[in-house]
Amino acid sequence: MPHREKLAWLYLIAMAVAFVPYFTYTAMDPPTDALPDMGRLMRLAAALIGQAVVLGIGYLLLWVSNRTEARAPADERDKAIERRALGVAYYVLIAGAVAVGCFLPFTDTGWSIVNSAVGAVLLAEVVHYGVVVWSYRRGVA
Amino acid sequence: MTGGRLTNDIRTLRFLAGEMSQAELGQRIGVTRQTIAAIEAGRYSPSLEAAFRIADVFGKRLEEVFHWEP
Repeated sequence: MPHREKLAWLYLIAMAVAFVPYFTYTAMDPPTDALPDMGRLMRLAAALIGQAVVLGIGYLLLWVSNRTEARAPADERDKAIERRALGVAYYVLIAGAVAVGCFLPFTDTGWSIVNSAVGAVLLAEVVHYGVVVWSYRRGVA
Repeated sequence: MTGGRLTNDIRTLRFLAGEMSQAELGQRIGVTRQTIAAIEAGRYSPSLEAAFRIADVFGKRLEEVFHWEP
């Protein structure tokens, strides 16, 4: 498996580890409009720190397991795959930004908007790394 | 995009070049072993420059390495 595909899997796993529990909790205990909600803010911070820790450990393990590949610069296929993935994820991010920035302020408030913004960014990231994995597996013309 | 696909004889040419490894070919043209594997399997169409470099490694012309099947 190419090093950059492993990195894409690492990002997907880190997001799942950090944010599936966060959004599960959010779904079970919907936010109120009381701001600032320090408890909720701490949970969001914990999810972000958890993601950073998983990424850090993963990067280290991948680096140690194959330093030659980890040090190698991206070749033309890696760059083509990254361009494709960013191109697809861009539209997801724009759609999320429009929904959160233009529509949600009229229907929601407070933490609902914060969580929707975080969700939109995560969705774009999942699409980005998902397309990377898909392209390494299925090919890119 | 219209139909058709790019095929190649890189696997055969590597064999005829003394079982040159994918890693060695990749190193000589500046791509990874996995990219050579993807090109051989038809999962990646190389840039024109990379295609010329591959042909040059085997001392062949481009059309002797890569073929277009409409």
